[in-house]
Amino acid sequence: MGIRRWGLTLLMVLLVVIVAACGSNKNAVTNEPASATEGSTVTPGAEPPVEEKILRVRFYDDPAGFDPTNIFRIENENIAFNIFSGLTTYESESGKIIPDLAESWETTDNKTWIFNLRKGVQWQGGYGEFTAADVLYTYNRNIDPATASPYASDLANVKSMEAVDDYTVKIELNEPDGNFLHIVANYHQGQIVKKEAIEAAGDQVKFLPVGTGPYAMESIDVNSEIVLVRHEDYYQGPAPISKIIFSIIKDESTATIALQNGEVDVIMRSNKEENLEALKAAGFKMNTVSNYAKSLRVFNLEDPILKDVRVRQALAHAVDYDAIAKAVVPNLSVGTKTMLLDWMDVYTDDVPKYEYDPEKAKLLLAEAGYPDGFTMTQLGTSASGINDQSQLEIEYLSKIGVTLEFELVDTPTYNQRRNAGEFMSAGRLLPAVNPDMILFSFLHPDNKSPGGLNGARYDNPVLTEKLEAARAEVDEAKRMELYAEVQKIAAADLPYLPTYASNVFWPSKENVEGIVINKLAQVNFFGVDIK
Amino acid sequence: MLGYTLKRIAQLLVTMLGVVTLVFFALRLIPGDAASALAGENVSASAMERMRDEMGLNEPLWFQFFDYMRGIVTLDFGNTIATNLPVADMILKALPITLIISVITIILTVLISIPLGTLAAYMAHKGKKALDNAITWCAMVVDLMPTFWTALLLLLLLSLGLGLFPASGKVTLDDPELLLKRIAIPIIVMSLSQIATLARITRTAVLEVLNEDYVRTARSLGMSEIVVVFRHALKNAALPIVTVVGLSFGNLLNGTVIVEFIFTLPGIGTLLVNGINSRDYTLVQTLILFYAFLFVAINFLTDLVYKKIDPRVQF
Repeated sequence: MGIRRWGLTLLMVLLVVIVAACGSNKNAVTNEPASATEGSTVTPGAEPPVEEKILRVRFYDDPAGFDPTNIFRIENENIAFNIFSGLTTYESESGKIIPDLAESWETTDNKTWIFNLRKGVQWQGGYGEFTAADVLYTYNRNIDPATASPYASDLANVKSMEAVDDYTVKIELNEPDGNFLHIVANYHQGQIVKKEAIEAAGDQVKFLPVGTGPYAMESIDVNSEIVLVRHEDYYQGPAPISKIIFSIIKDESTATIALQNGEVDVIMRSNKEENLEALKAAGFKMNTVSNYAKSLRVFNLEDPILKDVRVRQALAHAVDYDAIAKAVVPNLSVGTKTMLLDWMDVYTDDVPKYEYDPEKAKLLLAEAGYPDGFTMTQLGTSASGINDQSQLEIEYLSKIGVTLEFELVDTPTYNQRRNAGEFMSAGRLLPAVNPDMILFSFLHPDNKSPGGLNGARYDNPVLTEKLEAARAEVDEAKRMELYAEVQKIAAADLPYLPTYASNVFWPSKENVEGIVINKLAQVNFFGVDIK
Repeated sequence: MLGYTLKRIAQLLVTMLGVVTLVFFALRLIPGDAASALAGENVSASAMERMRDEMGLNEPLWFQFFDYMRGIVTLDFGNTIATNLPVADMILKALPITLIISVITIILTVLISIPLGTLAAYMAHKGKKALDNAITWCAMVVDLMPTFWTALLLLLLLSLGLGLFPASGKVTLDDPELLLKRIAIPIIVMSLSQIATLARITRTAVLEVLNEDYVRTARSLGMSEIVVVFRHALKNAALPIVTVVGLSFGNLLNGTVIVEFIFTLPGIGTLLVNGINSRDYTLVQTLILFYAFLFVAINFLTDLVYKKIDPRVQF
């Protein structure tokens, strides 16, 4: 009898829970903001003691390592950005190159670069003072084939490096490069490492990063959290916050609830419309950067239909990407008509644009010999699937007789097929930052896939010539003019169709200040404080 | 009995060898490898080729295979391809979490669903349809609710609404109280669907037995209803129930990927899915090997329980 009664009691409790859960469903969906405020007042969370400020940040995936030479994915790069420094770095608001470990630099021909290093910069973990030898070690390590760095090609243009003295580095390039300051920035191959620290870490080097940045790695549990402590000897002085705990929360809804519960102070990259709306309504701070990255549709120019530029232009005229973005993801995305982002120094708005005009699209298709349209297959990943935006795109294209079909494969298969050119049309997210890198790798015939990122297999000798001339040009105004012409030609030829520009959100509690998301979608925690 | 055990162990070894071989080659048939999975969007092919060299993916296949087999025999399962962490350590670290959750879930499931199913069967047998229908219907609804949805509802209710349990936080074995709070909602989520399934199985099995002659005989001997239902009916209905419990336990030990993802639980289900997505051959191979072992072991244990419950069972 005892067992049965106990079972029944448990059953009753359970039923109550189920009924309550079902009952709360309606409230939860429609009244989320209301219950959100309630939740955050019920559990205020532990306040950090005054003398020691602790910031808890949601981290959205398993950490994959922080060795700059082979670092991948933006969330890992964001940690490395705060641990390491480059000779230059990016100003958070504007995206402009500013001095970091190099106080100043000189070049007369974009070929010979002399960097004057900052004195008295201390390594984390008591590794002493930073000198020119560290710069040479870092770049040589990245170039060394034994390191197998995917970023070695960024340094391929380096002919020779020399430490003139402890605080001067002279770099000689094979070809002039007016964008070399991006190569030595606090990003990937440009992040300076310490030989002794790398050697001490041995095969655990991915998880034992040592840099000269504002924060140092304290501990890491690859399953649950990454803890950074401030570098007391940082050359700009100690950061306001003494400890940052990155707590791994993969699910977006769980992350939202964790912020509302006060379990975290900041969400790194909240990317679901409904969660953003809920947090906004509940009064959280919506730190954001707009126009962070561009999505492109890659046309395979070896495809018999898509190789006709009129077909590509027709496709561009057929879809109103801005209207789609406004309807489906108004916070996270906007339509776009340019490949580069407006904050980049070489950006021009003066390029051919394809306004939404289905009639013109039909005319272009008829001229190209497809009056009844055709079927276009878009290769995609099963991870991203066919979203609401794609559904609307199918609708738009059907109006000019084009049937858009999707073929979904898993991510590694997708990358492999896209590199091998086994697709008709595919998508690509443009990496931000160095505009020259974008134009060169996507438009130069030497970079045709699978050897490079030119997945469209685009080759226009006129554009190629201007692109190469732009790199070599020392005169700033002429250089900008050449880049503008390159962008015009690319927009006319349309090997890649710019579709959306995305916005990034890091919602936080009201008392967290100074979260500025830079153009790489990263946050420099040196400027963050808790009030 | 000893002969039987030895036979089963021999079977276990053959099964595991087969599984390892099959998985080794099947994994390499899927397009893409660790280098392409890790590199993602913007890495050139020459850089990718260098990464492959570094990861040992350019070695001849037979060489990789024998290297791996040699490792298994010496119980050295190697390091993950991408992050270079020891695979055995990763699994041993993830296992306790999965094990604790699975054991608590299965205990809750058995304690709740068997009385519940038996009660439903008894009511049905007695012609009191209302309660039976209520239980059966509820079990069906719960059984059909998608896990991610149940999880979200419970998070909203128990974490955000009532503030009983945290939605996130470190999962550590050092602090049992904190751990229990942290895994409470996942356990409830997983128990709900297990309870629903097992309650329905129990109801069917017990109901069938309640209509048997020997139950009527037991009643006519003046035994109380409790004794009739639990000692005579339930015990004789136990075989299918034990089978389902065994299978459920096996599935729970594999880790439930969706629940682990939502609650960021570092269990072995997540480990496997991450391994497949990143094409981490060593990790996936070793996990599958472990799963094979687990299933054969649980089947063996289930068989032993059969023998205990029903002496007529012959091996």
